[in-house]
Amino acid sequence: MTTTRRTLLHAATLLLLGAAGAARALEKAAGAVVLSVVGGVRSPNEGSAAQFDMAMLERLPQTSFTTRTPWYSQPRKFTGPLLRDVLAAAGAAGTTLRAIALNDYWVELPFDDAMRYDVIVARLLDDKPMAVRDKGPLFVIFPFDSRPELRNPIYYSRSAWQLRTIEVR
Amino acid sequence: MAAENDRSPLGPVHGRRWRATWLSVIGAGLALALLAVALVQGRQATLLNQTVQIGDDYIVLTVYQAETEYLRLRNQWARASDPRFALDRQTLQLRYDIWVSRVGLLHNERTLRVLANQPEYRETLAKIDAFVARADRLLGEKADQPLTPAALESLEPELATLGEPLHGMSLRAAHRVGEQMSERNLAVRQHNQIGIGLTVFLSALTLAFALLALRQMRQLEQRRAALEDLAASLRLARRDAEAASEAKSVFLANMSHEIRTPFHGLMGMLSLLRETGLNPRQIDYLRTATESADHLLALLNDILDMSQLESGRMTLAPAPVDLRTLLRDVEALMRPQANAKQLALHLDTDPSVPERVMADPTRLKQVVFNLLANAIKFSDRGAVVLDLRLREGSNGTPELEFVVSDTGVGMDEATVASLFNRFMQGDSSRSRRHGGTGLGLEISRNLARLMGGDITVRSKLGEGSTFTFRIPLQPVADAPAPADAAAAERLPPHRPLRVLVAEDHPVNRQYMAALLENMGHEAHFTANGQEAVQAVQHRSGQPPFDIVLMDLHMPVLDGVGATRAIRALPDRAAATVPIVALTADAFSETRDRCLVAGMNDFLTKPVNPQKLSASLRRLFGSASNAEAAPAAERDEPLEPTGTPPVVDLAALASALQSMPRERLAAMVHAFLDQGPQTAQRLHAAVRDAQPLELRVNAHAARGAALNLGLAALAATAGALHEGAAHLPAHEIARLVKRFEDLLPVTREAVIAAGLRPPEAAVATR
Repeated sequence: MTTTRRTLLHAATLLLLGAAGAARALEKAAGAVVLSVVGGVRSPNEGSAAQFDMAMLERLPQTSFTTRTPWYSQPRKFTGPLLRDVLAAAGAAGTTLRAIALNDYWVELPFDDAMRYDVIVARLLDDKPMAVRDKGPLFVIFPFDSRPELRNPIYYSRSAWQLRTIEVR
Repeated sequence: MAAENDRSPLGPVHGRRWRATWLSVIGAGLALALLAVALVQGRQATLLNQTVQIGDDYIVLTVYQAETEYLRLRNQWARASDPRFALDRQTLQLRYDIWVSRVGLLHNERTLRVLANQPEYRETLAKIDAFVARADRLLGEKADQPLTPAALESLEPELATLGEPLHGMSLRAAHRVGEQMSERNLAVRQHNQIGIGLTVFLSALTLAFALLALRQMRQLEQRRAALEDLAASLRLARRDAEAASEAKSVFLANMSHEIRTPFHGLMGMLSLLRETGLNPRQIDYLRTATESADHLLALLNDILDMSQLESGRMTLAPAPVDLRTLLRDVEALMRPQANAKQLALHLDTDPSVPERVMADPTRLKQVVFNLLANAIKFSDRGAVVLDLRLREGSNGTPELEFVVSDTGVGMDEATVASLFNRFMQGDSSRSRRHGGTGLGLEISRNLARLMGGDITVRSKLGEGSTFTFRIPLQPVADAPAPADAAAAERLPPHRPLRVLVAEDHPVNRQYMAALLENMGHEAHFTANGQEAVQAVQHRSGQPPFDIVLMDLHMPVLDGVGATRAIRALPDRAAATVPIVALTADAFSETRDRCLVAGMNDFLTKPVNPQKLSASLRRLFGSASNAEAAPAAERDEPLEPTGTPPVVDLAALASALQSMPRERLAAMVHAFLDQGPQTAQRLHAAVRDAQPLELRVNAHAARGAALNLGLAALAATAGALHEGAAHLPAHEIARLVKRFEDLLPVTREAVIAAGLRPPEAAVATR
């Protein structure tokens, strides 16, 4: 029931976004490309991919939260656009996302995760840009502290850092 | 039973204590076991949480990836330091950064926790850190040396030395995590075993608990059964006790009879003795003897009342009572006693009190008498006052209130509290001084309650007492007062009667003889019922007896049996002789039994001249009309004064208008033919003392006779119908006889009136 409703909502959102996308196609990345959304992308700006530079991500609505993670001993503050906004900007449609990191590490997560949780594509750690050696420049992070059900290895592994590509299937 | 009583209170108490201890032990055990289960489960949850939070297995991946990235960096590093290739600075930088980020994770405190006890871990980390510090001068954010293949090459051996320890660390991590996993598995297994043990323990405790509860229930069941047995035996005991009490009251009634019979004779003899011309000394002795006898009689009456009240056989006979007359009678009796003690006696009746009320005059008088007698008995000076007034009862209905106050010794509270108890008198010293059975007040209060009222008392020591006797007011419907007993007694004596007395006791025989002779009657005696039956039958030329006085308790055949035998006699005159019971049983059952057997009246012993005279008057009327009526009947038995003609010619004439003469004649003769049968039925009804049957038969006969114009027969049947319930048996018998005698007379009259019998008519035709 909830799933059906969610799917409907999802479809509606996509339709709206699709309409928006059709009206205003994704601009071309002016700076160094930090994130490519490939696969089921309806608003590509470079071939079949939607490419983002840091400025484009910065222009999307920003979300911040502080949470504990397995990778840091202290709670850290993460800031960046919501994953669903990024996907919407790219006009992404599909059921599964494959997040691929700089070191070719990849992990798959359901498209639904982006809708259900306020997952952000963090670009700032404690309000500072993240270097590669600090697991940057982009870090997919779930709101672990506000959603206790996320505090398990499944979601820890879905938090891909050094994100470079999202493949929409 | 006594031994059981000594033991039983200890047994159950001990058992209960034992059971309570066991129950608490098991309860505590259960609570502890449940707590332990909770602890084990909590521990397991913590263990699982640890796994989840630390993500130890994740560390294996971290170290593995650090090693992989190291290998990729080393590959890239070798390529970059090779002068044959162009330096790909960007790729090297990325690989380096990624590796450094991976190495950063090895510093993570979680990784530290897993690998901390590996000595070479810190060593390896230190080596890596040293290398990164050097390499950062070429590739770091604040690089201060130019990135040249030569510089890279100089660092390559150091990078190469990191390979083996990193690989070792990876293996270590894998092994360590494996060990931790198996440790956790072991812990989980242990917890499982503990959990199983606890469950078994819990089950055992629950079983024990259930067994104890079962035992408890069984004991409760046993106790219930025991209680039921006890209740059953108590019921049995109560029935026995009731039977015993019943037997006692029967014994009491019999004893009162046995005592009163000779006593009755004794008193009679005393009163006769007084008439025999005694000297003053003898008169004095006789007076003392009579006083003692009176006292004894009062005691006997009290005991009889008590036994009747106790057995619930006391019944009241309410009748219209003239209250003022009743009080005058009481005053007349009490005045001499009050005068003897020089006490003032005032009886005052409020004007609002009605003239007459419905009440049992005897019992009402008894209570008032008792209260006044007590007041006089316990007062030595001053006055005794009785106020009769009307007041509103607690439920708003009017009540009669007799307030008897005296200026006597009074009573303290304790005495008042126990005053109405049996055998209780004011106090023992007074009882010695005043005598009495001590039953008087109890009887009075019981009588008052039987009448729907009560007796209450207010008293203060030395200040006299006030007894209040109240009963609900039952007004009399306005009707002329029937002639009461006193009026009847004032009537002149009746004609001399031939009296048969069936009495086994010689003293009583003598007494009755004297009594009856004094009244001018002729007394004959038989000693038992059988003789009485014979005496009534075989008169051998003697005139018949006018009445039989029948004692109930007699040898051979008792009074009831004799009465039945007499009523069943074929000789009509003998069978209808009036019979009066003489008995000392005042129980209403006895009275009913006598009347059912066919007796006409009932006298309780001791029989005094007044009672006997009243009874005879009830049966034979007063002398004047007793003389007149039988004479008239004897002279002209079929035509008493005012009797209708034998045949009502006018009625016959009107009947002839509606039917032919032959038809009427046939009907009249048929009725007259059935006459003897009707008479027989009437006789039977009289003999069997069946007034209802008598009434029904008489009524039918009267109706038919009226229709056929047979006036005399109709009048006789009508008299029978009306008198069936209340006329004495001999009167009824006389009416039946008259009915019978009228049959041939009537037949002659109807033939004379021209209604010939149908046979004659047929013969004529």
